[in-house]
Formats: sequence, structure tokens, C-alpha cells
Amino acid sequence: MAKFTLPKNSKIGKGKSFKAENAGENKKTFRIYRWTPDGEENPRLDTYEIDMDKCGPMVLDALIYIKNNIDPTLTFRRSCREGICGSCAMNIDGTNTLACTKAIEDCRSDDNIKITPLPHLPVVKDLVPDLNHMYAQYASIEPWMKTDSPPPSQERLQSPEDANRLNGADGHGPAMCILCYCCTTACPSYWWNGDRYLGPSTLLQASRWVHDTRDEATGERLDQLEDPFKLYRCHTIMNCTSACPKGLNPAKEIAEVKKRIAERQH
Amino acid sequence: MTESCGKTHKKIETPLARAKGLGSAKSGYKHWWMQRVTALALIPLSVWLLFHLPNIFTASYAEAQLWMSDPWNAVTLLLFLWAAFYHALLGLEVIIEDYVHCHVGKPVMLIFTRFLFLGAGVMAVYAVLKINFA
Ligand code: SF4
Ligand code: SF4
Ligand code: FES
Repeated sequence: MAKFTLPKNSKIGKGKSFKAENAGENKKTFRIYRWTPDGEENPRLDTYEIDMDKCGPMVLDALIYIKNNIDPTLTFRRSCREGICGSCAMNIDGTNTLACTKAIEDCRSDDNIKITPLPHLPVVKDLVPDLNHMYAQYASIEPWMKTDSPPPSQERLQSPEDANRLNGADGHGPAMCILCYCCTTACPSYWWNGDRYLGPSTLLQASRWVHDTRDEATGERLDQLEDPFKLYRCHTIMNCTSACPKGLNPAKEIAEVKKRIAERQH
Repeated sequence: MTESCGKTHKKIETPLARAKGLGSAKSGYKHWWMQRVTALALIPLSVWLLFHLPNIFTASYAEAQLWMSDPWNAVTLLLFLWAAFYHALLGLEVIIEDYVHCHVGKPVMLIFTRFLFLGAGVMAVYAVLKINFA
């Protein structure tokens, strides 16, 4: 059966508490998931009080402040700090999003903001989840141009409309995905069947290649996708679309792939 | 790591081998399509049934029999039964596939569900015909 409760060694306990010293009125508390593979301890939530006068406006700023000034053992991923690399995806205040583009002020909880890793994945350490399986699923859809015709002597041409199908006329097309996996880890279907279900992120990418007019492997791609588990585990619950920090619509892309498969039957 | 029937079995394989698994079944479209077709059919059929149901519940056996001896009523009721049982079966299959991960239990449950719905469907059709031709 699908597991609805955490296994014993994943149950979260109470952690340490760090008070801000010499801070004024402007303070905020963050509760952060901590777990290390060294040793036998269960995960815990550590509490950090931060002097907001000394910290930047984003959740990532708070994490960096903690790492630099309070607790250097805190582990998380980040790189671009501007919502383009997808490294800093985590669950903040109950929703999956990017720490670098989430303003502390916009958190629904005024104080005591809870930060945990992306849900339902094995944890490597603290806020760093294991993404290997999702990357392999992405590789399995062969996300590159496939052609049989000899390569042209110049660029492969595409009409502006066809390019817009990928980039989105409003800049929110499937090609804009940053592979942060906020969507996939918010999808209940992925939680229960992630070993076989490709999940919204990978399916959005699959749709990006299915709809690329320069690609000549559309039929083979659809053949590979038509599977009760790889594709049809999507029940249009739409969590993915509401989770995407880039405003993309994976649920719609998945529906489009299902439509292409239906089209070739009739 | 694969999990089945509560047992955990450690497999040494590359992430790509695990992601590709047994490959694509190249099916699933039919299930998806019939779920939509039966849902569409159920819209007018359920409206029709809901319209007639209050009268049938309060009617005597003879009155109900008279209602059902009308060929339109009997045929529409049979169509409703087909769509409703088919749609319910497809839905239940999805739930089993979603939540049951045991390699033995899952196929057993899927087969049992089909038998159950086939049996119940045949019984319902038999009942309609029996009342109709009695
Ligand atoms: S729409 Fe599909 S992919 Fe998105 S959350 Fe729902 S089941 Fe998952
Ligand atoms: S679709 Fe959005 S949430 Fe999903 S991986 Fe791409 S950018 Fe992230
Ligand atoms: S650090 Fe690159 S997306 Fe947040």
C-alpha cells in the first residue's frame, strides 16, 4: 500500500533553539528541518531567531545569514539567487517554492516560518533532497533534438508561432522550466507512484519536445509516453500548476500530450 | 530500492535503468478514453434516471413493472447500467493502481474487481429483463 505516515526513523523531533543576540524589535523566527546521514539521530526542527535589520528580504537571505552567522552546519543548495537555476527549491511555509524569490514578508506565517526539504524525497542532508531519480526520469525522455533528415547548412528554421508554443507568447511556455521540481514533489500521484510515474516536470519537458516542430521523433516520443504509469497517473489534480514558482502550467502540458495521443487514434 | 508487499529489496542498478524500468506499456489511452466516453454518456442518463427515480420508489410493484415494460425506459435503464458499471470499474481500477503496490495483491485485486463488476452488471441487467418480460 501507499504509505501515509512517516517511517519511524523519519519522524521529526524537537531540535535546538538559537536566540538572536543584541537584536532590536525587528526579529523573526525560522524553524528549519535538520538531518544528517552521520549517526543514528532522527530529523529535528531547529529554531533560529534572526535580527531582520541585519538580514536581506528573501528566505534565501535568511538561510545564508544563519549559515554565515549562527550555524555553519546548515546545509542547502543555491546558486543563482535570482530564480533561474532551480537549486534552492524547498518547502517554505507549507508550499514548494524557490527560497531566492520568496520574500520573507510574503510568507503566510508572520513568524515561526517552517522550512523543510521538497516533500516525499529521500534526504541527503538538511534541506538537500536526492534528485537522482527525477534527473534520470528527465534523461529517459531523451530531451534533445532528434532528426533523421540530414542537418541543414544553416539554423533549423521555426516560425515565430511555433517558437511561441515552446517559449510561451507571455514567456511562460514549457521551455522556460528551470527543473526545480517544485511541481513534481507537490503532485500526490508522484508521491504514491514516483518510481514509475514521470511527474509534471518531466512530462512538461516531454511536451516541449513533442511540440517542437523541428523534431522528427514525435511519434516515437508519444509511443514512449503512452503508459498507464509514466503518463496516465496524472489525474489533473493541478497541484503542479499552483506550485510552479515560474508560473508555468504543467497540468495543461500533460493534457496536451494526452490529446496528441488521442489525435492519432481518430 | 524497490518495495513490494512490505518487503524491501535492494537492487544495484543505475538511476537511468531504474527510471526506464520495463519501458512503456504502449497502452493506457483506451482506459483514459473510455473513462471520458462513459462520463459523457452518464450526464444525460443520470438526469433521466434522477427524473424518474422518485416515482419508481413510491410506485407499487405493478406500477413499476408497467413503467419498465415501456421499451424506451427499459433500454435507457440498460444503457445507464452499462455506463455506470463501466465507469465505476475504470475508476476503481485507477484507485487500485494508485495505492496498491504489491506485485501479487495488485493483479489479484484488479481481476477480482473485474469479476465483481461483471457479476453485478449481469445481475442488474438480468433483473431489468426479468421485470420487463415477467
Ligand atoms: S495535474 Fe497531474 S501532474 Fe499535476 S499535480 Fe495533478 S496529477 Fe500531478
Ligand atoms: S514546471 Fe515549474 S515547478 Fe516544475 S520543474 Fe519546471 S519550473 Fe519548476
Ligand atoms: S538560487 Fe537559483 S533558483 Fe534560487
